[in-house]
Amino acid sequence: MNRQLKIKKTGVNKLIASTHLTSKIWQTVVAVMGVMFGVSMYIFMNSFMNGVNQTQDDLAFSTLAHVRIYNEDDRRSYNPVEDFFTNPGTLFNIRNKKSIQYTDGIKNTEQVISILEKQPEITGVTPQLNFSVFFRNGSKKINGSISGVEVATENQMFGIGNKVISGDWNELDFQKSGIVIGTVLAQTLNVKLNDNINVLTPEGVSKNLMVVGIVETSVKEIDKSRAYINIATARQFEGKNFDYSSDIQINLLDRDRTDEIVRRLQPLIPYQVESWQTANEQLLAASELRNIIAVAVSLTILLVAGFGIYNIMNMTINEKIREIAILKAMGFSGKDILIIFLTQATIIGLVGGITGVAFGYAISSMVNQVPFKVAGLATLPISYRTEDFILAIVFGITTTLVAGYLPARKASKIDPVVIIRG
Amino acid sequence: MKTQENNALQVRNLIKYFHDPETFQVIKGVSFDVKKGEFLSIVGKSGSGKSTLLYVLSTMDTDYEGSLEINGNPLTGQTQNQLAAFRNEHIGFVFQFHYLLPEFTALQNVMLPALKLGKFSPEEIEHRAYESLKLLDLADQGIKKANKLSGGQQQRVAIARALINNPSVIMCDEPTGNLDSKNSHAVQDIFRNLAREFDQTIICVTHDNDFAANTDRTIEMSDGLILK
Repeated sequence: MNRQLKIKKTGVNKLIASTHLTSKIWQTVVAVMGVMFGVSMYIFMNSFMNGVNQTQDDLAFSTLAHVRIYNEDDRRSYNPVEDFFTNPGTLFNIRNKKSIQYTDGIKNTEQVISILEKQPEITGVTPQLNFSVFFRNGSKKINGSISGVEVATENQMFGIGNKVISGDWNELDFQKSGIVIGTVLAQTLNVKLNDNINVLTPEGVSKNLMVVGIVETSVKEIDKSRAYINIATARQFEGKNFDYSSDIQINLLDRDRTDEIVRRLQPLIPYQVESWQTANEQLLAASELRNIIAVAVSLTILLVAGFGIYNIMNMTINEKIREIAILKAMGFSGKDILIIFLTQATIIGLVGGITGVAFGYAISSMVNQVPFKVAGLATLPISYRTEDFILAIVFGITTTLVAGYLPARKASKIDPVVIIRG
Repeated sequence: MKTQENNALQVRNLIKYFHDPETFQVIKGVSFDVKKGEFLSIVGKSGSGKSTLLYVLSTMDTDYEGSLEINGNPLTGQTQNQLAAFRNEHIGFVFQFHYLLPEFTALQNVMLPALKLGKFSPEEIEHRAYESLKLLDLADQGIKKANKLSGGQQQRVAIARALINNPSVIMCDEPTGNLDSKNSHAVQDIFRNLAREFDQTIICVTHDNDFAANTDRTIEMSDGLILK
């Protein structure tokens, strides 16, 4: 019985709320549109920023691994004589001091890789042997670098096979004297597929290689100066054994969680372990700044929409102040009045939120059609994330409720005597 | 003093101050009873405190000293929400400027207090509201928006609304103050009938002597005191 009563009582509050909403339909539409624009702009801004970030990341991570292992001689200040004679009275005179390189590169690649493959977060590992060379074709001589790669794992990690615009990446596996070169480099050297080029290392090793593929990564620096050969050929060039590499590249399940794995690997591996965040701080900064801008802009829009709703609700309540007094005289409590106006705010928020999601999706898909042919893109990038849509609705409704609550509370506190007596 | 069985309303030693712009005693200790089924009018010059008295009786104004009982329920000191629920069930209002909700139809206006009370189903309430509109000669105006009705019609809708929950007391603030003499007489007749046939207690503040003469009893106020 009591419950039934309650239902009926909220029923009358709903009736009043819906009559208020429908009798001044344009005012309601304007309020709904305020929320709709806020929510849709939030979705659009975030989807656009996500698209931009993702494109940027895809571009960056097409050549950049999440974690890199390398061996750099960091003992340049190794001074055995000074270290031995610590007596402050001792004088030294050493002339033409030469630095001796103790270790260079990774000598036990297989062993390191087998440690890495035991880590569950690691999705890909590939060794590389990188060195700088001169590319020569006839009288042309261009400074560049060569990556000796393991053909299959390199492709699995960086998807480089898809970026080979003529020839075939897998040829590197079959033709030990094959080379895949960057597209700009090919143009400058004036070579085509199946032409031969000469490669000369700083140590003076020279070798003729056949172009089996031309690659376009959209990263200018790489297209201009990089070439790929089989790691076995690279070891020949450098005169190293079969277990030697200069870098081991690692990809993780979640590239934002590198710290943890770097910390875990450091004691296991006697080389430097470096995350992409440390190596490329500018990448991280740019992507975070874009995120901050997106959030700031969309929150501002929602805030402005919130003020709009606050104004409209305030206006409505000032307009209806006598009716509120009458309702109170008839026996509606302050709570009833609060419910009546909060119901209106909720409906405005819900309708605005839902249409805003649809509208935001529509705007985003339209922008996604706008041609933008730069750096391997065809159209402006848009990337949808479920959490943006959920947050947009949550923010939209929260803003509306807060904006509606303040005037509604004012309405609930109206003293009917003051209003009715005039 | 013990509440008498047939008292609809009992006021004891009521004192009321206004604090703005300066403290001023509007009602200076008033006591009276209203019997069930009595048609009472309160008259007096403007500033005599008669409207102020009515709003205290109506339970809307709680800032007073003294005690108020309606149907044996002591109302002094209750919370605003308790009083709102009490008004909903036991008090009907008719105001000078009829004060209907303009966006609702006449029928909805009549139904609202009953929907709020929730004692009957919405269908039952609609039926009752329609019956009481018919009683007040408004059967064909039910589906019109309240702001599309004439002044006299609006006042009658307001009376129908005041009656819908079968209240113990109907309180009116200048119910004919805004009406021409024809409509004014119609309203007077309605009240007369309600008091006589339905045994309804009615308390009206008015400065219309003609109206007051037509009631069972008249209380005249002057300077916050009852003259007779």
